[in-house]
Amino acid sequence: MLEIINCQVEAKTWHITLPDIHVGKGELQMITGPSGIGKSTLLHWLLGNIPQHVAISGQIMLSGTDITHLAIEQRRVGLLMQDVYLFPHLNVQDNICFALPKSSQLFLTKQQRLSNSQPRLSKKQRRLEALNMLEQINLAHLATRYPQNLSGGERSRVGLIRALANQPQVMLLDEPFAALDPSTRELMGSWAFQQLAEQNIPSVMVSHDIEDIPVSAKQLCLADHYYQKTR
Amino acid sequence: MAAAIRRIGLASGWLLVSLISVLPIIGVLVGLWPPEHITFADIESFLGYQGLSTSVFMTLFSAIFSTLLSLYIAFMVYSQYHLSRRLQSLEKYLAPLLSLPHLAIALGLVFLFSDGSVFFVDSGLPRKGLSTLILAIVIKEVPFFLLIFSAIGRQLPIKYWLLQGNALGYQDYRCWWLLVFPALLKQSRLALLAATAYTLSVVDVSLLVGPNIPELFAVSVYRWQTSFANGDQALAFLANALLLILLALSVCILYAHEKLAYAACQSLATQGSRFYIGIINPVFKAWLPMLGILTAMMVVVFALWSFGFNLHRVSFNSFNNFNSFNSFDGFTATQLSTRLWQDEWLFFALPLQNSLLIGLLAGMFGVALALLALELQRQKGKYWPDYYWLLAIILPQLSMVLGWQILHIWLQGGYHSGWVIVSHLPFTFAYAYLVLKGPFQSVEPRYELLATSFGYSSWQSWWQVRFRLLLPAIFTAFAIAFSVSIAQYIPTLMMGAGRVTTITTEAVAIASGSQQDLIALYVLLQSILPFMAFFLAAILARRFRGSMGRQRYEKE
Amino acid sequence: MISLLSKFLVSGWVCCFLSLFVVTVNADETVKSAATVEENSAQWQQTLKAAQGQSVYFYAWGGSKAVNEYLRWATREIAQQYRIKLIHVKVTDPSEPVSRLKAEDGRTSAIDLMWVNGENFAYLKQQGFLLGNLWSTIPNAAFLATERLPITIDFGEPMDGFEVPWGIGQFNLIAEYEAFQQPQVSATSLLSIAKKKPQTITYPRPPEFHGTTFLKQLLVDLTDADPRLYQLATTKAQVQLLPALWQYLDQLHPYLWQQGTAFPSSAAEQLLMYQQKSLSMTVSFNPNQWLKEKSTQQISESSVRRYFIDGAITNSHNLAIPKSAPSPDAAKVVINFMLSESAQQEKFTGVWGDPSVIIPLFDEKATIPAHPELHSSWHVLIEDAWQQQYGG
Repeated sequence: MLEIINCQVEAKTWHITLPDIHVGKGELQMITGPSGIGKSTLLHWLLGNIPQHVAISGQIMLSGTDITHLAIEQRRVGLLMQDVYLFPHLNVQDNICFALPKSSQLFLTKQQRLSNSQPRLSKKQRRLEALNMLEQINLAHLATRYPQNLSGGERSRVGLIRALANQPQVMLLDEPFAALDPSTRELMGSWAFQQLAEQNIPSVMVSHDIEDIPVSAKQLCLADHYYQKTR
Repeated sequence: MAAAIRRIGLASGWLLVSLISVLPIIGVLVGLWPPEHITFADIESFLGYQGLSTSVFMTLFSAIFSTLLSLYIAFMVYSQYHLSRRLQSLEKYLAPLLSLPHLAIALGLVFLFSDGSVFFVDSGLPRKGLSTLILAIVIKEVPFFLLIFSAIGRQLPIKYWLLQGNALGYQDYRCWWLLVFPALLKQSRLALLAATAYTLSVVDVSLLVGPNIPELFAVSVYRWQTSFANGDQALAFLANALLLILLALSVCILYAHEKLAYAACQSLATQGSRFYIGIINPVFKAWLPMLGILTAMMVVVFALWSFGFNLHRVSFNSFNNFNSFNSFDGFTATQLSTRLWQDEWLFFALPLQNSLLIGLLAGMFGVALALLALELQRQKGKYWPDYYWLLAIILPQLSMVLGWQILHIWLQGGYHSGWVIVSHLPFTFAYAYLVLKGPFQSVEPRYELLATSFGYSSWQSWWQVRFRLLLPAIFTAFAIAFSVSIAQYIPTLMMGAGRVTTITTEAVAIASGSQQDLIALYVLLQSILPFMAFFLAAILARRFRGSMGRQRYEKE
Repeated sequence: MISLLSKFLVSGWVCCFLSLFVVTVNADETVKSAATVEENSAQWQQTLKAAQGQSVYFYAWGGSKAVNEYLRWATREIAQQYRIKLIHVKVTDPSEPVSRLKAEDGRTSAIDLMWVNGENFAYLKQQGFLLGNLWSTIPNAAFLATERLPITIDFGEPMDGFEVPWGIGQFNLIAEYEAFQQPQVSATSLLSIAKKKPQTITYPRPPEFHGTTFLKQLLVDLTDADPRLYQLATTKAQVQLLPALWQYLDQLHPYLWQQGTAFPSSAAEQLLMYQQKSLSMTVSFNPNQWLKEKSTQQISESSVRRYFIDGAITNSHNLAIPKSAPSPDAAKVVINFMLSESAQQEKFTGVWGDPSVIIPLFDEKATIPAHPELHSSWHVLIEDAWQQQYGG
């Protein structure tokens, strides 16, 4: 469960004061608004990538823990961007492998996870796990291909699987389907939200295409909370 | 705790990097400390030196002209490779072209175009003249720029720019000039600076094929600096001061050129002219193979000489025996022998080993320091001006190393390879920085962001993502740094005090004599190590998929 | 009639000059032989003992394969006889050890022994970088042929025991027989050869040592060995004597290689061009170089040696030890070896061909008729004036 409290975006001539946001497990929060208003910036701030050109203040609570001042690598927040950024030097399988958590939290129950005895998986085992994940979505035939040789839709799907492989606690989506053609976009969209709901991951998504928004999602338009600073 | 370690790490990183980059300045300050009695009379005699103004003008002209000429030729060649051939074959060609040191190219020209050569061609080039000098420099600089371009070009979505340009109605040729050239030019700034600084202060090539009435300024500087007759040291000081001014002047000229070229491209682009200029193209398709053939010819001539094939001997014999001018009478395959190689093996084995060791270490540390410097600046967010990092290449080498020598003696350092490696570091660092800067800045930072979001610490994501994506450029940088270390003469001599012999110290000493076969042998030896480095780098660069600034999609 | 008179004057002058030498040398010699240690004296034996096991770093030009080979031979001999390790540090420019000494400024040097040429010796001596009393502490120095050869003064600067002669340099030309058929060369004959075979004659660009010496030879010939050349140059003498040289060169240059718009940078480079058949002559300071190069087939069979009509300008090349050398004893032992009969013999008859400086091996027949060096002030003057006239 993700909570964003007292969030305020401040720039020289304007500011945005957001209401408190709560995103439960498996829920989707949409953030919309005209382009340039700072949707991506907000998303990156959630990730932990502090923006340079505006000042964002606020508190981020993840499952009760305050992660506002944690480094990116400690937050376990996932990011899926419009350009999927699959690593060009790794094939699909290795891309997913790369995203798998360090210690093997893969097959463990919550109890086992909490105890410290976690055997490390070998590289071979990790590869196998990555292949499994690909099989689950019928993309196992892409395992040894390199990102340059994938189509747009395939890339998006692999990107999402890679993000999910990391077992994030929150998923951030920055216009992830904008580069796809309408039919693929629809398919991808529904498939992605299905995956996220299945894995009970709270998600925050940025888009300025109304058609992307699933019916069940909560919406927040940044323009509604945008104020010009008076002199 | 982790933060404290991080801070210490950063601080020591900055310290290390500042030390290496400031060494050149220290060297020049100590080395160029004015001798006691500089009087107005000295300045007067300096300015009154016959031919000074012509010499200075010729030197400046040859430096700027050869650099810019090499740049444009390299750009045209690069365009041909991008447009019509596969890029991989470009890099394959480059390895042998880059391995011959500058002096070897000049010697090769002399050997090739002299009367006694196997491939005698009356090229009409004067044995000693400005044109010959510029030719020798260009032959070496073009492949160097090509290497830089290929390192930069890997990071730029050139194919997409061309595609876009074509779609807008521009022919390939125009696209290259208007779209690609400005980007490449901007990122090659450092390489241009390095090339100009080199040509401005090169002594051995100038002595061999440069004009000497009046002689090039660098030669005059060298002569004064190495003469201890009355008053010459004072002249040397003044001449070095002038050399520094010339260097600063060339920086300004190159900067002005960049601005002009940019403005020209911009104005042409906004004019939107779309007509076709394609007449010059075929020449450049052939340029690289031509260079390759020329280099191969030089290597063959050197090899023949070292294997004992002495054309003069042959023609002497035939002249005496048959009273004819048929030079190939009496030449049989049995005249070629490996005797010289066998005889000299005992003497070049150790220097060769030293060169290899020093080159490997100096190259590796140079590349590591360059990466460190780039990363530290990236984290700070502010990049220091380029010429600061390249001071080792820009400032006059003789004075700089003299200063280091004095410091080294004060510190009572020993004369072993360790100090020689340290003295090579500023140069390997500078060249590595030069090659790596463009690619480093072009690596998409989002990759690292993603890795960090997956839970990798910044250190790990740097290694696994950024470093990995930069590998091809790193291989190239290492090959260049290695070759630069191999080719160093003055630092090795002055720091090693003759204790540390490298293949280059031997080669330079031999080349100051007149034994053609021995010279040829040592030139070949000097070229073997860089050749292997470049070859290896080309293979490895292809194997390890490089980074791309943005993902390029081939299947859409 | 006039030429006979001038020849008489010249020979008379040369006799005076040499006798002056002999007088001073004799005076020195008596002092020297008394002060030179004997081989079997306790002092020398001590030096030998101290030197055992040490290394001697010898800074010498590395561009000549002949010299390198000779030094390799010497290394083997010295290692065997004295258990001293001689290491030949190949320098490209004779000024390299000088600038090192200057940088070291008195601290323990990296140099044990160095091969010194005239121009740098004066500087080294004045700055006090050299170890003195070499002649009196090295036994074989007693055998130096100081009576026969002008080897106590180096380029106008008296050696005073700061350096030891190693070999002799005599300026000569190595040329194609076809072009240079007369055994001696004069200014006029050179000009006519240049006209007959244009573009094949040249000289190294001053201030390179060979080039300046070439000009000095011409000057001697053109001024009939004017006695003022052997004294400190006065402005009056300059004005009266030098123009002859410039007038001659003005005539000569158009027929030179590249019409005098470019010159070889060094004697080695000119030799290279000679080997490549671009030139019909080259210059040398080693009177036997032509023979050695021919025997190793580096130059054509038809090459001959020629010298200037007034005699070849003769000087010595020398060895010196820095004051702050780490192993001066071993260096002295090496010098002693270099002056020994076996070493000088090998140097002369072996691949190098450098003439000997010691009495037992002094062979007048092997050397060319000698001519004394001009005063050093003329050397600098000629260089500067040449630069003014032709260098720009």
